[in-house]
Amino acid sequence: MTRTASALALAALMLFAVAASAAAQSAQEIIAASDKVRNPGKPFRVTNTLTEYVSGSARNSSTLVVYAKVDAASGQFRDLVRYIEPARDAGKMALLDGTVLWFYDPASKASVRISPQQRLIGQASIGDVLTVNLAQDYTGTLIGAESIQDSQRQAHDCWHLDMKAANEHATYNRVEYWIEKGTYYPIKGKFYSDSGRLLKILYYRAFVERLGGIRPTEAIIIDAVDSALVTKLVFGDYQFQEIPETWFQRDYLPRLRIE
Amino acid sequence: MTARAAPILPLLLALTAAPAWADENKDLELIPESVRAPTERPAADEPTRDLRQRIYLENALTLDSFRTTVVAPPPPTGPDWQERLFLDGRKEWLLGAGATLGLSDRFNLQAEDRENFPTRQTVRNEFREGFVSWQTLPGDYLDAGRINLKNGVAAGFNPTDFFKTRAVVEPLSADPAILREDRLGTVMVTGQHIGEGGSALVAFAPALYSPSRVYTATTLPSLNPMFDRTNAHDRFLLKGGATIVGDLSPELLVYHEGNRTEFGANLAESVGKSTILYAEWAGGRRTSLIADALRYGVDTGTIPGNVPNVLPLDPRRHFQNDLSAGGSYTTESKVVFNVEYQFHQAGFSLRDWHNWFATGTSGLSTPPVRAALWFIRGYAAEQQEPTTTHAAFFRADWVDAFVPHLELTAFASVDLQDGSTLTQATADYALSDTWSIGALVAATFGRGRSAQGSLPQSATAILKIARYY
Repeated sequence: MTRTASALALAALMLFAVAASAAAQSAQEIIAASDKVRNPGKPFRVTNTLTEYVSGSARNSSTLVVYAKVDAASGQFRDLVRYIEPARDAGKMALLDGTVLWFYDPASKASVRISPQQRLIGQASIGDVLTVNLAQDYTGTLIGAESIQDSQRQAHDCWHLDMKAANEHATYNRVEYWIEKGTYYPIKGKFYSDSGRLLKILYYRAFVERLGGIRPTEAIIIDAVDSALVTKLVFGDYQFQEIPETWFQRDYLPRLRIE
Repeated sequence: MTARAAPILPLLLALTAAPAWADENKDLELIPESVRAPTERPAADEPTRDLRQRIYLENALTLDSFRTTVVAPPPPTGPDWQERLFLDGRKEWLLGAGATLGLSDRFNLQAEDRENFPTRQTVRNEFREGFVSWQTLPGDYLDAGRINLKNGVAAGFNPTDFFKTRAVVEPLSADPAILREDRLGTVMVTGQHIGEGGSALVAFAPALYSPSRVYTATTLPSLNPMFDRTNAHDRFLLKGGATIVGDLSPELLVYHEGNRTEFGANLAESVGKSTILYAEWAGGRRTSLIADALRYGVDTGTIPGNVPNVLPLDPRRHFQNDLSAGGSYTTESKVVFNVEYQFHQAGFSLRDWHNWFATGTSGLSTPPVRAALWFIRGYAAEQQEPTTTHAAFFRADWVDAFVPHLELTAFASVDLQDGSTLTQATADYALSDTWSIGALVAATFGRGRSAQGSLPQSATAILKIARYY
């Protein structure tokens, strides 16, 4: 057997090993385990600071506070998003609850119902990057195992999953996802529109202990439509937060205050 | 597949997968060097500071052009140009024990042709809101003060937005979305309960002043908070909303003002991933717009008592309906389209328009008669109601148009009875987190004897720059 043939045989063995490992754990279980890395089991609050880079230069920044709580019925997170900065958007709010999406502007004191597609417009579209429970809204298929580099070019052995929207609550039609084996850390995601267009490429990083678990505290989002546009998203000021059910009424939006 | 071929398949898969991994890592080349290093954690974990305010200084230069001939000459028209500098602020303070104090105000300095500076009309303050809000129990709230209480789900005309009447002062834009931003609140007390399945609100606004004349640009006060515009009658509102099934959550409203009671309902529902459908209705016994306006004009002394019957009218009260029905559709390229049908039964019918133009162009038409005719239309505008019975509203809003942070908006309001149209297009660009620039052009189109074509103002252009603090 030549050396080339030996290498091929070894690669084949590795692939079989991956297949055996995957068989022991379904794609859905892997996704669910990774969801738990991003999300604590109790309602919480997190501050998202977004810095937008255009061709490498920081241009705009914004700060959102996200209140997140799992809906007992659907298993999916419901979010309330309050804009803190920039000054022109301060006080705006969004209620993101499945397909029930409302946007409130304190300038007009009007709540406007928005569609799931409209959710993708503006900064609120990435307000829920951290909190979405992918296992609830997507059906995953394990493509294989890959070694993939994170945003700092560190290699990670990952499961590569292909997820299709499983219900109308799913924001994206399809998601490709890379989850590190062993730790279940989400490393990378690619998000696609209904027409199959790649919208965003996302890298998670800066895994540190927050709210009782090791969680990503940063994400890099590349706008796949305009690749000169890159957003750095920093998750800070994590707090467990009691969130009454009444907060998810649209009439509560004008009442939401950050204590 | 042969037994010999089977072991080769994984090898082929492994070989074909290798280039894909390499391609995945190519995505990293899109991350600029300045973003590679993670943020220092202590800075990221500082407590969040919410200033609870939006304060900005804006300068707007407005240029207007007017038709040289109009079929029914109006009273003196507005200025050809206007330069407006205003400080707009909204702030909220936490008072403790679940109470907050909210203030909202705009202070304007204006210069315009044919007007000296400073004068009462060129130095103006608009005290929009000032109220205390108190959470008495979990889910129960009491608000008191000058409050801008907004209702409705439609994009153009909101029949259930009962507190909109006379609340808008000298707007810079005809866009309904902007009109809602700069309007006076009403002095009122409200109680609201928000539960898990819905909410209920009761509001009472007392009569503090007698009905006053309709304001014109030359009669606006300088610092007077104009409570006469918002609190000329005792007004009551009862509103309730609940989730009935799924995510269907309509609102029902009962409103009472003077001798008039109106009922209302609104509903907005998501259909599929990109569409929102909505409907908003209000109805009650009232007289027509013409009868309402002329009666109001005579009562407030705006119209001389000897020229009230400039148009044929039915003085009786009938049950009249207002309706907005439409939807929005969002494309993948971040454009939101709105289409809306508007019905205002008390508004001008085709017959009313015919009478209006016949009277306005008659040889017997005197300046007081023409003033009364234009008063009716001014009254409708101040009431924030469509003048005409049937109208359509189209709006398109494109966020991040061509470049990030450029927002293009265009709308058209079409009178379905005569085809005349008001159109407006705006471009707003966020230069930075604190600076914005924008431009607006608006124009009216239509035959001389049409709702829009008969207006003296043919086009408007505005250039603006704003600094946020």
